[in-house]
Amino acid sequence: MIGYLLRSLRRQLQGSRTLFALTVAGVALGVASVVAIQTLNRGALEAFDGSMRAVSGQADLTVTGTIPTLDETKLVTVLADPDVRAAWPLVRLDAAVAGREGLYLDIVGFDVFAPVRYPLGSGPADTTGADPGRLLRAALTTPGWVALTPEFAAEQGWSVGDTLTVSSGSRLAHLVVGALVDFKAYEPLAPRRLAVMDIAWAQALLGRPGRVHQVDVVLREGADPVAVAARLGAALGPGLRVQTPEQRQEDASGLLAAFRLNLTALSLISVFVGLFLVLTAVQAALVRRRTEFGVLRSLGATPRQVLGLIVAEAALVGLVGVALGVPLGWLAALRNLDSVSGTLTSIYVMEGIEHLTLPLRVVLLAVGVGVAGAVIGAVGPALDMARRDTGLLLAPLNLHRATGRVAGRLAAGSVLVALAATAWFLPWGRHLRAGGFLYGFIMMVCLPLVVPLVVRTVTRPLRPRGIGAALALRNLAARLQTTSLAVAALAVTASMLVGITLLIGSFRATLVTWLDTTIRADVYVSTPSWVRAGNDAFLDRPLLDTLGARTDVRAVEEQRRLRVRTADGQHLVWLSGIRIDGPAGEVLADRLPLAGGDAATVAAGLDRGGVLIGEPLARKGGYAAGDTLVLAGPEGPVALPVVGVAYDYTSEGGTAFVLMDRLVAAFGPTAPNNAALFLEPGIDAEAVVADLQQRYAGRPLVFRSNATLRAEVMAIFDQTFAVTRTLQAMAMLIAVAGVSLTLLIQARERAGELAMLRALGATRRQVFTLFVGEGAAMGALGLMMGMGGGIGLAALLILVINRAWFGWTIQPHWPGAALAGQAALVMLASAAAAVYPALRAGLSDAGRLTRDDL
Amino acid sequence: MSEPILSLEAVTLTYRAADHPDRTVLREVSLDVAPGEAVALVGRSGSGKSSLLHLAAGIAVPTAGRVRLAGHDLGTASERERTLRRREAVGLVFQFFHLLPHLSVAENVALPGWIGGLASGEVNARALDLLQQVGLGDRAHDPVGRLSGGEMQRVALCRALLRRPPLVLADEPTGSLDDRTGREVMDLLLRLTRTEGGALLYVTHSRELAAAADRTLRLVDGRMVAEPAA
Repeated sequence: MIGYLLRSLRRQLQGSRTLFALTVAGVALGVASVVAIQTLNRGALEAFDGSMRAVSGQADLTVTGTIPTLDETKLVTVLADPDVRAAWPLVRLDAAVAGREGLYLDIVGFDVFAPVRYPLGSGPADTTGADPGRLLRAALTTPGWVALTPEFAAEQGWSVGDTLTVSSGSRLAHLVVGALVDFKAYEPLAPRRLAVMDIAWAQALLGRPGRVHQVDVVLREGADPVAVAARLGAALGPGLRVQTPEQRQEDASGLLAAFRLNLTALSLISVFVGLFLVLTAVQAALVRRRTEFGVLRSLGATPRQVLGLIVAEAALVGLVGVALGVPLGWLAALRNLDSVSGTLTSIYVMEGIEHLTLPLRVVLLAVGVGVAGAVIGAVGPALDMARRDTGLLLAPLNLHRATGRVAGRLAAGSVLVALAATAWFLPWGRHLRAGGFLYGFIMMVCLPLVVPLVVRTVTRPLRPRGIGAALALRNLAARLQTTSLAVAALAVTASMLVGITLLIGSFRATLVTWLDTTIRADVYVSTPSWVRAGNDAFLDRPLLDTLGARTDVRAVEEQRRLRVRTADGQHLVWLSGIRIDGPAGEVLADRLPLAGGDAATVAAGLDRGGVLIGEPLARKGGYAAGDTLVLAGPEGPVALPVVGVAYDYTSEGGTAFVLMDRLVAAFGPTAPNNAALFLEPGIDAEAVVADLQQRYAGRPLVFRSNATLRAEVMAIFDQTFAVTRTLQAMAMLIAVAGVSLTLLIQARERAGELAMLRALGATRRQVFTLFVGEGAAMGALGLMMGMGGGIGLAALLILVINRAWFGWTIQPHWPGAALAGQAALVMLASAAAAVYPALRAGLSDAGRLTRDDL
Repeated sequence: MSEPILSLEAVTLTYRAADHPDRTVLREVSLDVAPGEAVALVGRSGSGKSSLLHLAAGIAVPTAGRVRLAGHDLGTASERERTLRRREAVGLVFQFFHLLPHLSVAENVALPGWIGGLASGEVNARALDLLQQVGLGDRAHDPVGRLSGGEMQRVALCRALLRRPPLVLADEPTGSLDDRTGREVMDLLLRLTRTEGGALLYVTHSRELAAAADRTLRLVDGRMVAEPAA
C-alpha cells in the first residue's frame, strides 16, 4: 500500500499542481504563523534568561532590592549564613552611548576579585591575549575601564584603548575599552551588548556609591536553596527579595504571559483557517478520485486501508507544508524581531531580543500542528468515504446536496453550543482568566458551522436575471460543500481582521483621549538612558533649577518612577512620584482621568499622602478606593491608602501615583527621572525645544515637545501591534488561497456546466466574469459573517480578555475608515483570488460536454 | 431556393494532439440545410455525427473546407465571433439534457436569454410561453431535479428555442429516453421547430425518428454517403 501511496501522490502532484500548491500553502502559512510566534515568544524569554544567566548564571540565589538598589553592606549579612559559600554584589545599569542613538551598553559592575564567572585575571575567553595580571590591574586602576564582547566592539568599530562616552541619566562618563572578552564562551545566551567593569567604576557611573542592584549567592553543596532563601529573607529584613533563578524566570514569564498568550491565540487562528483549506482540498481530491477508490474497494481493499491511504496522503501534504512553513515562520519572526523587541523594551522594560533561535521544540510543534492539522482536515471526509458507497457518495452534486440537507442541523447545533457556552461564560466563565479565550475559541468554531445555512438562506431567494451577481450567488449555494468551506475560512479571517481592527482602533482612540488629558505640559525633558534604565536614569538638580529659572518657563513638574513590588511580592508596580508646584493633589487628580471616585476627594487624599492607582493594578490586585496598597519599601512595608483609581495606559503591570514628598518619605530622596515644562502663554514649544537642544548639545538630555511625545507614544503603540498585522496578513493569505482553491475545484467539477454555457453562446469573458463574481460573492458572504463575528470578537477582546489580562478599559470606537479598508481588502482579495480560476474556467471548451458532467 | 442556413463544403475535421496520432473524423463532407428544413443525420457510433454538429455550431473549426452559418464563414471567424454566431443562430439540444440543477425550470429555459443580455421581462415571458407549449407551464418554478427524463428534455427544447434560432442542432435528443417518451419529444421538437420557422439538424440512431425528417443523411467513417430510400 505504501508503494501505491507514493505513486498516487506523484500522480496527483503531476495532475493537480495548483491545487496541491494551494493546499500546501495553506498548511505552510498556518505552520509559519505558529513558528513565528513561538520563536518570538521563546526569543523574548531567552533574552531575559540569557541576560540573567550571563550575569548570575552560577548563582543559586539572588538578592535584589525593591527600589531597586540595596545597600552593599547587606553582603555581610548574606555571607554570615552558614550555607552560603560565596556571595558578591553586582551593579547593573543601561548606559546610552553618546552620539549613537538607540545604542545602549548593558553594564555589569562586579568585584573583580570575587569568584564570579568572568574572572578577568585568568579568563580564557579574553580574545586580546593580554596578560591576566595586567588586565586586573587595569580594571582596578583605569577609570571607566570596561570589557566588551569582541562581536559588539567589531560591530561598532571599537578596539582596545578606545574611549567611549556614555550617559546614565543626565550624567556623562567616559569609558575605556580595556579588554575584549567573549562572554558567550561562558554563557551562550549572553547579550551582545554586555559590558563588564569593576563595581566601583559602575557605582561612580551610576552616581550612587554604596548602592548595588543585587547580590549573587552560591551555596554550599547540599544546601536547600529554598530554605536558605527563606532564612536570608528573614535575616535581611523587609525591602529585599531572595530568589532562585527559577523564581526570577517565572517572574519574567509572568510579566510576558498576556503578551505571549495573545500572540499564540492569534497564530492559532491561522492554523484554524488553514484547516479549511485542507478539508476543501481533501474533499475535492476524494471527489476526483471516487472511481479510483471504488476500484480499490472492489478489488478487496478494506475501508480501513482506504482510510489509511487518504489520511497518510494528507499527513504527507502536512509534512510538505511543515517543510515550507518552518523557514517561512522563521523569516516572519526575523521580520518582526525589531518590533517585538521594541515592545519588550518600551512596554515591558525587559531585555530586547538580540538573536533568535529555532529550537527543536518549536520545529516539533510545527510538525505536530502541520501534520495534525492536515490529518484532522482529512479524517472527516475520509471516514465518511470509507464507510459508504464511493461512487454515489462522492458524486459532486450528492455531496453538495448532503451539505444542504445538514445545513440546518449544523447551524442549530452550532447555535446550541454557542448558547451553552454563553450560559457558562456570562455567570462563571468570564471570571476565569482564560475564560475569555476559551469562549472566543468556541465561538470561532461555531461560526463556520452556520455558514452553509447562511449561504443557502441568503442565496436561495435570489432570482437571476442574467450572467451577474445573483447567478454567481446562486452558484455558491449549488456547490455548498466547497463554497461553505471557503466562506467559512473567509468568515473566520474577516472576524479576526475586524475584531483586531476594532480593538486597535478603539485602543488607539482611547489612548489619544487619555493623552489629551494627561500630556499637558509643553516640553518634556528626559535622558537617552531613560528608555532602558528607567529607575536609574536621573536628571541632576542644577539642570532642573536652570530650566525652572528660564523666563519662558512658567512651571516645572518632576517625576520619579520606581519599580517596586507589593509587600506580598505579588505585583510589580511602577510607583510614580510627581512634584507639582501649587495645589499638587488637585492638579494630579485633574490630570489623571478617574475611573472611580470624585476629583476633590482624590485630591485631598493625595495631599494627605494617599496613592492614586492605575486601573491595571486595581484590577489585578483587586484594589479600590479605601483599600491600602502595601509596597515593599527599603525599610519595611510602606502602606499607602488608595484614594482612587485612574485610567492608566503606561504599563501592563500597573502604576501608582503619589506626590513626590510621599515617595521621598517612603523610599528616600532621589533625583527625578524626567521633568515637564509648562511654558508662558504664547511661547512656541518647538522653538523652546530647539533652543534647549542647542544649549545642551553636549549633554545627554532629550527634549520633546508635547506633539513629539504624543507622536512617539503613538509610534510605540503602532509598533506593539506590528506583529499582529503580520498574523492578520498570514490568515488573510490562507483565506484567499481558500477562495482560489475552491474556485479551481469548481472549475474542474463544473467543467460540464461551463461547457454547456459556452455551447449556449456564453463568451469566455462571461464565464470569467461569472467566476470572479463568485469569488467576490464568497468575499461578500465571508465579510458579512466576519463582520458579525468580528464585532463579537472585538467585544470579547475589549470587554473581557483585555481587562482580564491587561487591565485596561478601552472605550469602544468605530474606526470607520480602517474597517472600510479591511472590507475593501477582503473583497478585492477574494475577487483577485478568483482571477486565475476564472481564467481557467474561461478556457472551457463547449465540445467537452460528457454524460455525467452536470 | 433561398440561401441555406447551414452549409458545409468539402469539410474535413482532423483532431490533432501532441501525444496522439492525428485522427480524422470527417472527410470532405458537404451538406446544406435550408431554412425550415428538418434533416436527420444517422450513422454508427464514431462515424462523426457529433463532430459534424460541433462544426455546425462553431464549437469546432474545420481542418479543411468551409462551414457557413446564416451566411457567415465560421472557419475564418475568431473564437469570440463563432460564440456570438452560435448564440444568435443556433439552439442546441443534448442527449443528456444538461440542465443546471440549481436553477428552476424557467431559469434553465431563460439561460440563453441571460447569456445574450436580453431584457429579463421579455426572456421570462418567452420562457413561460414555451413551457406552456410543451405542457410544463405549471412546473416553471420547480427545481429541474423533480422532473422526469422526458420533461427534462422538453425543458431543454424550450431552452434551445428561447431565442428563436434559425437552426436547431440536436445530438441524439431521445437517446436517454424510452421509446415512447422519445417519440413524444421528437414530435415536439419537430413541431416546435417548424412553428418557430427554424431548421433542424438532428442526430439519431433510430430509423423511425429519422423518417420524420424531411430528409436523412448518413455518415460512414466520416464520409457522407447516400441514404437508401426507405
